[in-house]
Amino acid sequence: MESQAQRKRCTEGRLPQMAPLANPYVPFQLENPPKYEPGMALIRGTLFPGLDLPFMNMVNNKEKEPTPKSELQKLAFMIQELALYLDTHPDDREALEAYQNYQKIYAKLAKEYGEHVAQLNHAQPTDGERYRWLDDPWPWEFAANQEV
Amino acid sequence: MFLYDKKLQYPVKIARPNPRLASIIISQYGGPDGELGASLRYLSQRYSMPFDDQKGLLTDIGTEELGHLEMIAAIVHQLTRNLKEKDIENTPLEQYFVDHTNGVYPAAASGFPWTAATMQVKGDPIADLTEDLAAEQKARVTYDNILRLSDDPDVNDVIKFLREREIVHFQRFGESLQQLRERLNQKNVYCMNPAFDL
Repeated sequence: MESQAQRKRCTEGRLPQMAPLANPYVPFQLENPPKYEPGMALIRGTLFPGLDLPFMNMVNNKEKEPTPKSELQKLAFMIQELALYLDTHPDDREALEAYQNYQKIYAKLAKEYGEHVAQLNHAQPTDGERYRWLDDPWPWEFAANQEV
Repeated sequence: MFLYDKKLQYPVKIARPNPRLASIIISQYGGPDGELGASLRYLSQRYSMPFDDQKGLLTDIGTEELGHLEMIAAIVHQLTRNLKEKDIENTPLEQYFVDHTNGVYPAAASGFPWTAATMQVKGDPIADLTEDLAAEQKARVTYDNILRLSDDPDVNDVIKFLREREIVHFQRFGESLQQLRERLNQKNVYCMNPAFDL
């Protein structure tokens, strides 16, 4: 069970003292906030339980099946969410460490994906006799979900 | 410079085509609070930001919005896949179909084509970031309304993700606005335009 203090820490932020008039304020998210694991973060659309504010209790509960692509999506999402957080909290060392750690794992998985599944972008080194960039399916196609 | 990654930010897997849903979801492609306007708004506003924190945040959120634009296109594309004349006749997609067939065109659900008149680049950082806060709220409500009108679990799975992103972006823009104010004259943050007068 989450204690009341933890819940408060997760959902409440910080406002400037003696905030001047005629300014809109959004409370600052506190440093080192509670975080979801990557699979849950992706389906919730945020890394942070404190910002997870669904409409009419409609929430995604089923994590994506682990495939090479969904693993990349999970890691890329962690990096994106931590990047936006660090853009406004550049001094949070724990977030910076997590960001750097996910970058390393992503680089490794993206390399494997490029070698064994599909070329991810033009910057990835390729070899072999064939130009693979044009290979179907493209990401917007239904068939893009059928690869293993 | 943008580098295309051949993957979506979040999987889009729509099992059942549905012309009615396509006709409303297109609004987040080219409607007044859609992802095209969001990406162009942020990526254009960043040039007149005087400080690096705002330049970075607008670049990162603007780029993410381009990924959302692609996801919305993927939803519309999959909702209209293999639809024939008989599937489209007498559905709300009819009017869109006559102009665009099953293509993906940036227009509002009402049919009005995307216009830059739905966004602004004021060239003043407080004004621009305050617009961005409002833009995220309006996009969030559009996703709320899509959830009201859709009972397709595959569509809603993606819409819930996109809706939540609006809330996170709102939070970051609010924090960024506060960081901007901390760099300005504390007695009167409106004493000049830091994009123009510094």
